[in-house]
Amino acid sequence: MGGYIVRRLLMAVPVLFGTTFIIYVAVYALPGDPVQALAGPNQVVSPSLAQAMRERYHLDEPLLIRYGLYLRGLLGGDLGVSFSGRPVSEIIAASWPVTLQLGLTAWLFTAVIGVPLGTLAGVRRGRAADMLVLAGTTFLMGVPFFVVAYVAQIVLGVNLGWLPVSGTEAGWPLAYVLPGLVLALYGLPQVARLTRTSVLDNLGADHVDTAIAKGLPRRTVVLWHVVRNSLVPVVSLLGVSLGYLLSGTVLIEGIFNLPGLGYQIFVAVPQHDGPVVVGVGTLLVIVFLLVNLMVDLLYGILDPRIRLD
Amino acid sequence: MSDRSPRARGIRRAAAAAAAGALAVTLAACSGASGGAGGGAAPAGEKTYSVGVTTYFLSHFLPGKAVGSNVDYAIYTPLTKVDTATGKAVNAVAESIESEDNKVWTIKIKKGWTFHNGEPVTAQSFADSWNATAYGPNAYTNNYMFANFKGYVDLNPAEGKPKAETLSGVEVTGTDTLKVTLDKPLALLPYVLAQSAFAPVPKAALTGADAFDRKPIGNGPYQMEGEGIVTGATKVSLKRFAGYAGTPGNAERIEVKSYQDEGAAYRDLQAGNIDVTLVSGNNLTSASTQFKDRLVQAPFPALMYLGFPLWDERFSDVRVRQAFSHAVDRQAIVKSLLRGFGRPATGLAGTTVPGGGADECSACTYDPAKARTLLAEAGGWKGPLKLWTYQDPLNTVILEAIGNQLRANLGIEAVTTQAQPVDQLYPNMTAKKIDGPVLLYMGAGYPHLYALADQLFTKGSAANVTGYADEEFASLMAEAAGAGPDEAVGLTRRATGHALGGLPLAPLFWPVGGLPHSAEVGGVKPEFLGGVALSAVTVG
Repeated sequence: MGGYIVRRLLMAVPVLFGTTFIIYVAVYALPGDPVQALAGPNQVVSPSLAQAMRERYHLDEPLLIRYGLYLRGLLGGDLGVSFSGRPVSEIIAASWPVTLQLGLTAWLFTAVIGVPLGTLAGVRRGRAADMLVLAGTTFLMGVPFFVVAYVAQIVLGVNLGWLPVSGTEAGWPLAYVLPGLVLALYGLPQVARLTRTSVLDNLGADHVDTAIAKGLPRRTVVLWHVVRNSLVPVVSLLGVSLGYLLSGTVLIEGIFNLPGLGYQIFVAVPQHDGPVVVGVGTLLVIVFLLVNLMVDLLYGILDPRIRLD
Repeated sequence: MSDRSPRARGIRRAAAAAAAGALAVTLAACSGASGGAGGGAAPAGEKTYSVGVTTYFLSHFLPGKAVGSNVDYAIYTPLTKVDTATGKAVNAVAESIESEDNKVWTIKIKKGWTFHNGEPVTAQSFADSWNATAYGPNAYTNNYMFANFKGYVDLNPAEGKPKAETLSGVEVTGTDTLKVTLDKPLALLPYVLAQSAFAPVPKAALTGADAFDRKPIGNGPYQMEGEGIVTGATKVSLKRFAGYAGTPGNAERIEVKSYQDEGAAYRDLQAGNIDVTLVSGNNLTSASTQFKDRLVQAPFPALMYLGFPLWDERFSDVRVRQAFSHAVDRQAIVKSLLRGFGRPATGLAGTTVPGGGADECSACTYDPAKARTLLAEAGGWKGPLKLWTYQDPLNTVILEAIGNQLRANLGIEAVTTQAQPVDQLYPNMTAKKIDGPVLLYMGAGYPHLYALADQLFTKGSAANVTGYADEEFASLMAEAAGAGPDEAVGLTRRATGHALGGLPLAPLFWPVGGLPHSAEVGGVKPEFLGGVALSAVTVG
């Protein structure tokens, strides 16, 4: 297993370089003038300011040279300085705890709500509970993400006053319940449905029939012979969905005013603040790669038939 | 799962942990319900309130980079301030500002003003601040504001290294006196000096500009507490400055919370978590029904206008431009799309801008019949018409409405609209790549009609996107700049009237924002840029 992990980590290196390059090119190839974007619609940029900015951020060099300069800094541990003059490492250091808390809260909701719902639907196939789960998840998949976010914020936060509307002042878990729940709704339908399908597959399996024939209680059969075996594809989906959750944080952190990594991207993109977008984006890619590795390792634990070497 | 015990047990344990986690979350949610939204944890009896601002307002506090927000004016008191009631620039830190020729100015500073760290405010404090901002390589965003100061070119050469480090036009002639020399006369210098970009700084700003930018030491009614603007934090706390030499603020403490957009701040106000914030656009509709008498109007010192591409020969005839202007029903757009928050423009600047409020624009009335006649006289319209604006939800809607009105009132069939990001639209206009009228927003650089006219119509100004260049306008403006402050208003109005006669742009609206506030605070009134004047707010 150790060799497998090392191999996977080594494979991650070219992926990482490739993604930083794509993000870098995408940000800097955006049409428009970063200096003007920084100043905003009503600001005048004096020629000397524009010149100083271009020199400081190498904006007048060709793209490849700039990328090279960026990589050189990156390898030396320097993530660069944002256009507003803050070191990117400092921005990341201040923001990641927020995103981590939000992502994990949402992920917890997805797993804790999605898996039981899917199991229930599978076990009660074709009955009212199944129909209800089907209708509910279809509805959730149909409604745009940001609509759910605004409605939840206005109903639960503003009108009912049950939960904080925005910000992180209330701390974990209170401040993260509402945004986490909304974020969870994003991946929840898929998790519930996959669990349902998987449970149905396993219900018809030979070993389940054997277990029933041995006279085990139905509860035990469902929990230890059906659900456990159904979890293999679900764990993979949950892992991938953690990655999607992180990308969903861009919108959710914007709406709920949570100063995390997604919020930084939300603010930085319109300003063409390349150093921030590339730095934070790369970090998200690393997290995504690590999560995928962990998911693959988990397979082996859930299903001993899968060998990793 | 490092546990080596049978897997079944491991999974059971995990399931139990997940269930416990869910329970904890549910419990927390319930405690939130009973605890209510709640405000800050202020000591009992202390007068305190909280205000919501956008992150932009808290981006920089060094005067050279400050954006002129209400927080800036709580922290700094510049030489002058503009009296919102009379529209006159009155002295704040300045004892007197005098000039014979509006070119060489003698500024005397009041004694007894100190910075938050106890350092006295002297003439040198102003000179230090101004020199740092005017020095090109520092790359401070407010650099352009010093372009009319003598010696600016030496600090900002087109090529190569600067020849000097300080402005030759700023001389400290005594502890409390400054001599300022401009390149061209400007009677309105006292208005210019009212901006936070011209605030003084103590010595600490010169040695540690970055740290100062986050935790400023100003001379204003409030001082910043704690670490200042920490990356990732969404809140700063302001404390009343006991040594303030001007009129002190009412509240002892102000919590300033930052939001990524106005809508987020407004929703927090609705939930009762903050006391006041600035709203505009669609949120105003909701605010006017929910807050009723606790909604204060905040007119912006700005103009929304339709700029014509004067380089496009289809717009070279003034009658075409007049026809477009007469064909737009400003009243209807203000009523239906802006929900009354805005005023149809009858000239360049609204009544809240000193010098503004005059009817300088004869083509600003709604007259579809006249519009059709004018267009027919000019030879009619051929082919498609494209309208432009920058990306903004409200702008897009307004532009659609304008397109419909032009279609209906002028009989132009193929009208399309296009919205571009600001940073593409402006360079495209400079490059004359825009082939139709552009809906734009322009704020006055400093509180005077002269500023707006200068920005929009003076040849070479970065905001003059229509390519307008007129000698009579230029000479009237030069006359205004050289006259006394009272005659300057009349001359600026004449210059503006002349420019609007040629109609390089059609004024549309003077936008208005709103300041909804909780019942706990009073005395809510807007600062020049629309944000609530922080030291004027009363608590209880």
